[in-house]
Amino acid sequence: MIEVRDLKKHFKVHKRPPGLGAALRSIVHRTYQTVEAVDGVSFRIERGERVGFLGPNGAGKTTTLKVLSGLLHPTSGEVTVAGHRPQRRAADFLRQITLVMGQKQQLIWDLPPAETWTLNRAVFGVNPADFDRTLAELTELLELGELAQKPTRQLSLGERMKCELAAALLHRPTTLFLDEPTIGLDVSMQVTIREFIRAYNQRHDATVMLTSHYMDDVVALCPRVIVIDGGHIIHDGDLRALVKAMLPDKRVSFSGAAAADVLARLGRLVSRDGARTTLEVPEARLREVIGHLLDGDGIGDLAIEDPPLEDVMRKLFKGKPSEPPDAG
Amino acid sequence: MTVRPGYYLRVLAVSMRTSLVTAMQYRADFLVQGAMSLLWTGLALFPLLVLYGDRDTVAGWDFAPALVVLGLFTLMRGVLEGAINPSLMAVIERIRTGAFDYTLLKPADAQFLVSTTRFAPWHVIDVLAGAGLVAYAFTRLGRAPGVAELAATLALLAAAIAVMYSLWILIVAAAFWVVRMDNLAFLLGAVFDAARWPIHVFKGAWRFVFTFIIPLALMTSYPAMALLGTLTVEAALACLGGAAAFFALARAVWLLAIRNYTSASS
Repeated sequence: MIEVRDLKKHFKVHKRPPGLGAALRSIVHRTYQTVEAVDGVSFRIERGERVGFLGPNGAGKTTTLKVLSGLLHPTSGEVTVAGHRPQRRAADFLRQITLVMGQKQQLIWDLPPAETWTLNRAVFGVNPADFDRTLAELTELLELGELAQKPTRQLSLGERMKCELAAALLHRPTTLFLDEPTIGLDVSMQVTIREFIRAYNQRHDATVMLTSHYMDDVVALCPRVIVIDGGHIIHDGDLRALVKAMLPDKRVSFSGAAAADVLARLGRLVSRDGARTTLEVPEARLREVIGHLLDGDGIGDLAIEDPPLEDVMRKLFKGKPSEPPDAG
Repeated sequence: MTVRPGYYLRVLAVSMRTSLVTAMQYRADFLVQGAMSLLWTGLALFPLLVLYGDRDTVAGWDFAPALVVLGLFTLMRGVLEGAINPSLMAVIERIRTGAFDYTLLKPADAQFLVSTTRFAPWHVIDVLAGAGLVAYAFTRLGRAPGVAELAATLALLAAAIAVMYSLWILIVAAAFWVVRMDNLAFLLGAVFDAARWPIHVFKGAWRFVFTFIIPLALMTSYPAMALLGTLTVEAALACLGGAAAFFALARAVWLLAIRNYTSASS
């Protein structure tokens, strides 16, 4: 269980304009600026939930995850994770959580991952029988196979991420903070990682909080999303409800030819890619439009979908520097 | 965090084993490093031989006692470069890249973890060579140190290691604030090099600095004097007390630094 009440995290950062002159001046005289990375955030996540944490660059996602995992002291507000105050970094707390950062690694570069795992086993005080059982389970779920014995530096990015996940989960934590766990991975590896996260969540009733660059991760894994922007929460709730609120129209796509003037009457044209056409249609007119299309000659492969989450995010963060949302 | 000696010994054992495996991974490197250690020890003798080539005594130190200082310097350099530097250099790098976060996510004392991440086993050669030099110096003197002297020397060496380690911890703690500390780390290495000479070689302000500010005297000269039986009990006790105070100071600064830590990219 995670409970956050009015969390604020402010940083004092050194600010200097570009240029050599400014760089020289800043050696003697530094000006500082306060950045409100997280500014009054509250939410509650129950045990076993999978929650997507979304927002543009610099929205405060990573800062929040770091506060939740005890790496940063909150400036103010109350945070409880698994019954502990994270900033105290109590051993009992750290044994119950894990933080996986897609852009940072803990595996020892020159050695096979198995060595890092052994080290983590000692540091987390996992007894050998539990360790063997967990490792067997992770090996099966992540299809680790021979990877454990290959030096880390020889692993591909995706293989390394699988081993990083294993290193982060060998103590069998019940609260998982995953910060961009699929960054840079190819589509099939993303799917593997995604399926693994879901399986782990279900087997151990683990709470998962996930940030990701890839909206597919969020759609596939997280029934609930929390959207943060500028240090404030702007949405917390059902993913579908968010999509519906932001982009209520459905996407209707089909293959086959249709005259431009007919299309214009049916809905807003989103794309026309070879033989495939996609329209945006208000839900109220859906029945009528589908009926019309089915009556037409040579129209097939009809599909009705929600608009992609990317588009929802784009609309939410219009004018923001990063689209789609990125590490922040 | 509660003190659990058994737990920490186990972690230390696994960590040392990992370092050994890492060292073995690069067999050629292991041999080259070993040879380098021997070479440096040999080269370290030259200035001493040149200095004593046309005089019998320097600043009140004859050749054999000065050789004891050099032997202890070699030994201490082995400890420093084998057991202290590698871990702490690695930590500074981790702080810079942000990978240090993973250290703070472990349910163990962070200072312990950062101090035991990496060892350079081949520096055992330095330690053995240093002990060899000391033994040779005593054969030249034609006597052996007594049990009391030996015990005092070991205690002082332990104190010296504590001081060197504490200096390093202070540098790492500083890295939390200024991020790039490589240069200060190298400076410390360069200053430590002065410990190859008996403290009395340095005059005036330097002797003061090397005795009280950067306690080089404590690292080699005082243990050598203890071994030679020329150090007073008061001075020895002062060294032990000073080292304990330094260690406590470093621990306090470290805890403060951890509290202030904000990782490299947030």
